Amino acid sequence: MTSKVTRTGSMSRRRLLTTAGAGAVLAVSPFRIKLVQAQEATIKIGFPVPLTGPYGAEAQDQVRAGQLAVAQFNDAGGLNGRKAELVVRDDKLNPGEAATRTLELVEKEKVNFVVGSLSAAVQLAINNVTKERGIIFNSISQSDAINEASDFSKYTFHEALNPHMTSGAVGRYAFAKFGKKVAFLTADYAYGHEMVRGFLEVGKQFNIENLGDIRHPLGTSDFSTVLPRLQALKPDILCISNFGRDQQIALKQATDFGIKKSTQIIAPVLSHASRVAAGAQAFEGVIGGSSFYWGIEDKFASTKAFNDAFRKMYDGKVPTDYGALAYGGVRAMLEAVKGAGTVDTDKVIAALEALKYDYYKGPQYYRKCDHQSVQSVLIVKSKSRDMKNDADVFEVLSTEEPNEKNLRTCDDLGHKS
Amino acid sequence: MTERAIKQPDTTTVGWYEFATRHRASIAALVVLIFPLAMPFTALAVNILIYGLYALGFNLVFGYLGLLSFGHAALFGAGAYLCGIAVVHFGWPWYAAIAAGVTGGFLIALLIGVLAIRTRGIYFAMVTMALSQCVYYLFYQAVDWTGGENGLRGINVRSIDLFGLRLDFINPLTRYYVVATFVIAAFFVLSRILASPFGAVIEAVRENEMRARASGYDVTLTRLLTFVLSGGFCGLAGALQALHLSIVPIEIMHYETSGLVVMVALLGGMGTFFGPMVGAAVFLVLENLVSLWTVHWQLIVGAIFIACVLFFPTGIWGTLIARGRR
Repeated sequence: MTSKVTRTGSMSRRRLLTTAGAGAVLAVSPFRIKLVQAQEATIKIGFPVPLTGPYGAEAQDQVRAGQLAVAQFNDAGGLNGRKAELVVRDDKLNPGEAATRTLELVEKEKVNFVVGSLSAAVQLAINNVTKERGIIFNSISQSDAINEASDFSKYTFHEALNPHMTSGAVGRYAFAKFGKKVAFLTADYAYGHEMVRGFLEVGKQFNIENLGDIRHPLGTSDFSTVLPRLQALKPDILCISNFGRDQQIALKQATDFGIKKSTQIIAPVLSHASRVAAGAQAFEGVIGGSSFYWGIEDKFASTKAFNDAFRKMYDGKVPTDYGALAYGGVRAMLEAVKGAGTVDTDKVIAALEALKYDYYKGPQYYRKCDHQSVQSVLIVKSKSRDMKNDADVFEVLSTEEPNEKNLRTCDDLGHKS
Repeated sequence: MTERAIKQPDTTTVGWYEFATRHRASIAALVVLIFPLAMPFTALAVNILIYGLYALGFNLVFGYLGLLSFGHAALFGAGAYLCGIAVVHFGWPWYAAIAAGVTGGFLIALLIGVLAIRTRGIYFAMVTMALSQCVYYLFYQAVDWTGGENGLRGINVRSIDLFGLRLDFINPLTRYYVVATFVIAAFFVLSRILASPFGAVIEAVRENEMRARASGYDVTLTRLLTFVLSGGFCGLAGALQALHLSIVPIEIMHYETSGLVVMVALLGGMGTFFGPMVGAAVFLVLENLVSLWTVHWQLIVGAIFIACVLFFPTGIWGTLIARGRR
């Protein structure tokens, strides 16, 4: 077509288009090859997590732990020789991107299951896509909404804790010990609201006195105007419900203001990564909830085994809380596949529902009505001295054993029994 | 139509450029039809169509009218939310939901337009951005209707029923062609608008406001009308997005979505018919490919964007057209 080059502009334009077309085809070709190469027999687990964005560090840890679960499954022979594969995608902490990526995973990669997410909105987006297409999704980040009947489907599983369980456990521990006068400092979005709702709910049993709730917008860099107001309320307990950078700054400034002298600071979730980022002093003495801490390895053989395998695979690093959730989520999926002896969706769902498992933190199981993983909640206190190494950041004060009573009831969530 | 074209009605000798300009909508439609074959996955191709349509609507104001709006996310988002609410809360059928989305785009555009249209340049950008933030918080706070932080879920349209025909909307290619039908229709409507006397007035206002006014045209009304029309296109794009992803995240109204469309339009070529589509395709494909390869995809995509702005100041498509015309 381009061999007959004339001097008119139209030809050069056409040539340009041809070149561009060839370029486009070339750019696409690796995908085509990959599609052909993909073995029919591989069990594929889609894994959308926010590799870019503020939770990138946690997401990397999720991938590491997920890979470990897959490697263990494959080393043990897979499902009669069928190997598993983790197909990781970056959801960029954006629900729209997560939905698009999940469509890619389901429609193009033809994954058998999806495990992942690190935000309430993102997991709800993924869940809506997977439940429409009859793909099992196991969520590994916190949300209350995903348990509720309007979002739930038989394909929805929730390996992570939810705000109700976390704040409930922390509240039961702290309100009994440190006093009844409670003040709140809360990030003004769904996460903060759900946590405060949980604290007030459990506070009723202890007749706590709510001195006031100060809300701050996400991404606040200075709390010096609100901290004196909170101090003036003279609370026994100051409950700080925020996450990530907000939590680090709030705790650092609260330390500087000397609030800790008269008041016990509690947080619904203390994340290993945040504590490492902010340092020992800011978090000193703060009490909060956690789904997992590697230090419980002297209590549970499963934790010990998980930690050792993780250390071996990743040069002595210990897994963090969110990493452990990913391990649990992926492993539960693969064990269910083994138990069912097939990847057939309905049989795997039945196997998951029947699963009584202990993979990394003691006994767990999925509740029948909302597929919430019933599990223990750790109450941890941040250490500032006697630390054996960099990862020795928390002391486990107490463990709330797995109990359905600590979950919202199936009726409350709108499930018909 | 040029004089030359009248003398030589045989299109092959008219030259490709004139031919392509006259049949721009048809050519765009053809490209859209074979497009998914060249994409890594179909959901991305649908996203490109939707963002292309969004940028097309934005370009009507930015490229043809010459006003830089930083608030188009509100129009796009309003379309998505109204379509979603129509499905989730009222159980409307898909066509009524899309109509609701387009209406949403029109209404929010009218609201923002009435308040902002008298300002110029940077002030117009600032006012539209501020107003779109107001719309953002309105939808953010209306948790019962929009799901707030968690986003609106459950926009589950499983099949498209049309004259007794039932199309499986879960099937990726069917979904693509349903969306493509709307996008192609939008191409023809936009092409018609631009070719009409009103289209000439839009460009006249951009080129010389005083002269347009002296010629007896109502400049403010032209601007407002163009902005509202742009809202309709963006609203349609939003509605299609809601149906495609089955969710509406609150991020859709964030000012980043407003910024994205400016970038896409610049990348493709402002004031060109097909430029926004090209811009959306290049940007989304790049983002997709590079983010599979490294987590530092923003760095690489940003560098490519800078290179494009430096070496193709009229955008990728704008540069290609200029070459072709030579």
